[in-house]
Amino acid sequence: MPASALLVGVIIIPLVGAVLTPVVGGRSGRAAGPWALAVMLVTSAIALMLIVHVANVGPFSAYLGGWEPPYGIELRFDEFSASTSVICLLGTLSILFSFKYAEKELPPERIRYYYTLLLLNLTGMIGFVVTGDIFNLFVFMEILSLSGYALVAVSGERTAEMAAFKYLIMGAVSSLMVLFAIGLLYALTGSLNMADISVRLAGAEKAPAMLAIAAFTVGFMVKAALFPLHIWLPDAHAIAPSPVSAILSGLVVKTGLLGMIRIYQIYYGAKVLDLSALNTVLVWLGAISIVMGAFFAIFQEDIKMMLAYSTISNVGYIIMGLGLASQYGVIGAAVHIFNHALIKATLFLGAGAIIYRTGYRNLTDLRGIGRSMPLTTAAISIGAISIVGMPPTAGFLCKWYIALGAVEAGQPLFAVALVFGALFIFVYYIRMVNTFYFQEPVHPEILEVEEAPLSMLFPVLILAALCLIMGILGRIPLSFVEPAVTRLLAPLGG
Amino acid sequence: MEARIVSSLLPPAAFLLPIIGAVAIIPLTKGAERLRRIGLAVVCVLNVVAAASFVPGVLAGNVYETYILQITPKIWMYFRVDAMGALFGLTAAVLWLIALVYSFGYMEGEHRPGRYYAFFILALAWTMGVAYAGNLLTFLIFYEMFSILTYPLIVHEETPEAIAAGTKYIVYILVGGSLVLLAIVFTFFLAGNQALTPAGLLTLEMGRKNLIAVFWCFIAGFGVKAALVPLHGWVPDAHPAAPAPFSAVLSGVMVAAGSFGIMRVVYSVFGVALLRELDVMRWLAYIAGFTVVFAALLAVNQENLKRRLAYSTISQMGYAALGVALLTEQATTGALVHITNHAFMKGALFLCAGLLIKRAGIRNVRDISGIAQKMPITSAAFAIAALSMIGTPPLSGFVSKWYLGLGMLDADQPLYLAVLLGGALLAAVYLLPIVYAAYFKPPSAAVLALPERSGLEAPLTMLVPLVAAIVLTIALGLVSSVQGMPLSLARLAAAIAFK
Repeated sequence: MPASALLVGVIIIPLVGAVLTPVVGGRSGRAAGPWALAVMLVTSAIALMLIVHVANVGPFSAYLGGWEPPYGIELRFDEFSASTSVICLLGTLSILFSFKYAEKELPPERIRYYYTLLLLNLTGMIGFVVTGDIFNLFVFMEILSLSGYALVAVSGERTAEMAAFKYLIMGAVSSLMVLFAIGLLYALTGSLNMADISVRLAGAEKAPAMLAIAAFTVGFMVKAALFPLHIWLPDAHAIAPSPVSAILSGLVVKTGLLGMIRIYQIYYGAKVLDLSALNTVLVWLGAISIVMGAFFAIFQEDIKMMLAYSTISNVGYIIMGLGLASQYGVIGAAVHIFNHALIKATLFLGAGAIIYRTGYRNLTDLRGIGRSMPLTTAAISIGAISIVGMPPTAGFLCKWYIALGAVEAGQPLFAVALVFGALFIFVYYIRMVNTFYFQEPVHPEILEVEEAPLSMLFPVLILAALCLIMGILGRIPLSFVEPAVTRLLAPLGG
Repeated sequence: MEARIVSSLLPPAAFLLPIIGAVAIIPLTKGAERLRRIGLAVVCVLNVVAAASFVPGVLAGNVYETYILQITPKIWMYFRVDAMGALFGLTAAVLWLIALVYSFGYMEGEHRPGRYYAFFILALAWTMGVAYAGNLLTFLIFYEMFSILTYPLIVHEETPEAIAAGTKYIVYILVGGSLVLLAIVFTFFLAGNQALTPAGLLTLEMGRKNLIAVFWCFIAGFGVKAALVPLHGWVPDAHPAAPAPFSAVLSGVMVAAGSFGIMRVVYSVFGVALLRELDVMRWLAYIAGFTVVFAALLAVNQENLKRRLAYSTISQMGYAALGVALLTEQATTGALVHITNHAFMKGALFLCAGLLIKRAGIRNVRDISGIAQKMPITSAAFAIAALSMIGTPPLSGFVSKWYLGLGMLDADQPLYLAVLLGGALLAAVYLLPIVYAAYFKPPSAAVLALPERSGLEAPLTMLVPLVAAIVLTIALGLVSSVQGMPLSLARLAAAIAFK
């Protein structure tokens, strides 16, 4: 099959799959889960072929309806689009994880819609990373945002509805900003194709171009939950069902960051503005995010709330790396977009498994759980040492590269902030590990709890293994990211 | 003498063996205590054999190396066994074997032995990695593993004090680890990823200020683990909290790993010539000298025996740092061999402390009075190790101090001899009263309460390792000049560094 057909397929298949889910699932919803899983497996297979292709021949495009850009719609698969693999992997594992969850927590008539929303959300993200057209970017962003709001509220509890509403308001503002910026760019250049905009923007007026990138930045940073635009995140991520939390924290937040990278691709290429002022702001906000996220996390009792705040810190790392705009820094940021997804999914799914078995979510209540659920807690512990960046786990690559990037950019103090921010983060993960293993249980029945069911344990263990493997074999993601970053930053050097 | 590079698969084997021990033997032998012990002992013995097998080759001028795995496009995990690494690796392997066998007795009846043994044997793997790491990133990986994955051992007893000590430990160690990471990042930026060779990685062209910043970053980072005052805070809390066999390796190898890190920085990252040029070492010497005396003074007043020994460790590791800071060949020899000698004599003292806790319930110095009648072997061992710690010839402590003293004279810094002797004197003040009380004072209430025992004072699994540590302490002094003993390795390492 030609690569362009595959590229179209990687969006169409989950989209059609999502639309068919309510029909296939039936009223009982029993078939919805396996169906969604099958859809995601097919999509993953296609994504894998695409990645092999991009590794062999480099970035390539597909033109919908055969119309060439700048008139037609372009789908473009480059190294950043390789994050499709992570989206598919997490999507597949989260759906598998959802089997038991949905059965227990959701009313049967809602199960099929739950899977529909999950598939739509994943479709939106896949579309978001493979599109070469900025308006399509917006469309896919809306698909994933709207399905995201609904997924947060899916349990139907009052707090969940409140969290979803907060998320919706912030998300709507962010979408508005992005749409406004797209409008500006269209008015400036008369084009919606990203590559084409980049070319045409070169001679454009500076003021509107500046306004556009400011609006993009604010819009995408709300999505990415950069401090101080993070306020919607902790509630939404903590209250959502755990498989959804894994997707929201691991992936949906990253669309804001990948969107930012796309905008950088346009602006760096056009050389219309000097972005160093924006970058300075981002580096500082990144550093503040790291510290504030960690600071708030320390005071959380709810295990998922803690994980949610930890996401804010990690977004801080990535933004810092992007803002440093040095080769190593951006590589570190890009790699961490992938790796944090794996790590955070490990943690959220692990926490989900524990909550599923025990019904408790507070650390104090969970004391001693390490004895009754040894595999799950071991996986969470691996996730924890990985997220604080202990070598040679997946989280270490980010710390290493971004710290190097800070030194490279002549700002070693940010390396200090980064490394000591990570220390802060360690403090609350140590608390978690103490809770699991080294403290006497408050509830004796916690020692009688069974290990998580296989459909939950399997995804958690796979992800935990990946947390280790992606660190030891860091050269695999890096070999993807390095050429892309070199290309992204090439205009800056020249 | 040019180093001959030899490819070898033994360095990775030395750290893979204990890992296999932890992830295979322990789960497989659940419930079969005897089998588990045999398996773990075999792993440790094999590890000693592997570590010892490097010695003849290294003494003949070989350097063993292995490339394992490409972590990032620019960085390989790389092992390189030189004289310094071979010495540290062998010390660790032997001390671990002693402590493991001792654990068989000590951990009898303690809770969760599986977890204890797993992390205990894993810690050996990380230590071997630290000893044989051939570049800074490999070093960092194992150093951090070693720091963090020993946490479960420190909090093993799960008492509130243990958890508090563990928290203190992890915060100190992580701050230190972060500084080391920063220093390594900076070094990588300046010099790229190079092997740790005697030539050093850095040169003066990289900028004086940069180099001085990197140096102090390294020293502050490793100084936390090497327990340089004022970065020593975790040591006196962690030692009493941990199970005794782990206290022994904690003092003997873990704190020494910090000193080993400093040595790597001095001899392989900067190189002696560059450091003379930068003129930073005298400040390190001041800090180290202060550490020796200050910690020894604090040790005098400690009532808890393990705490007193912990302060003694801080003081003794100050000697090692002082030896490094003087930048002479003799002092370097002394520092290197002191790490090894200290490992066994301090190991022996902690094993004694463990026996006192386990067999007599004694944790405090004042309860030791008269214990010699009930526990003669323990008391004798304690006396010998204490004498060695003070530096009495012909025990091992004397040998290292002799070389340190020679180095001080070589460096034209005779004032440090006062530090050396003052530290030794204070060691006598904080250790000899214990020996005196054990033999000559009337029995304390705790000793009187002990039941009359027939037969040995403790199981053989605890006594044999203690005697082994004492035999080593004596042998490392008496026959220290025999080729193949640690002193010959230390001499070679110093000669290479000062070539």
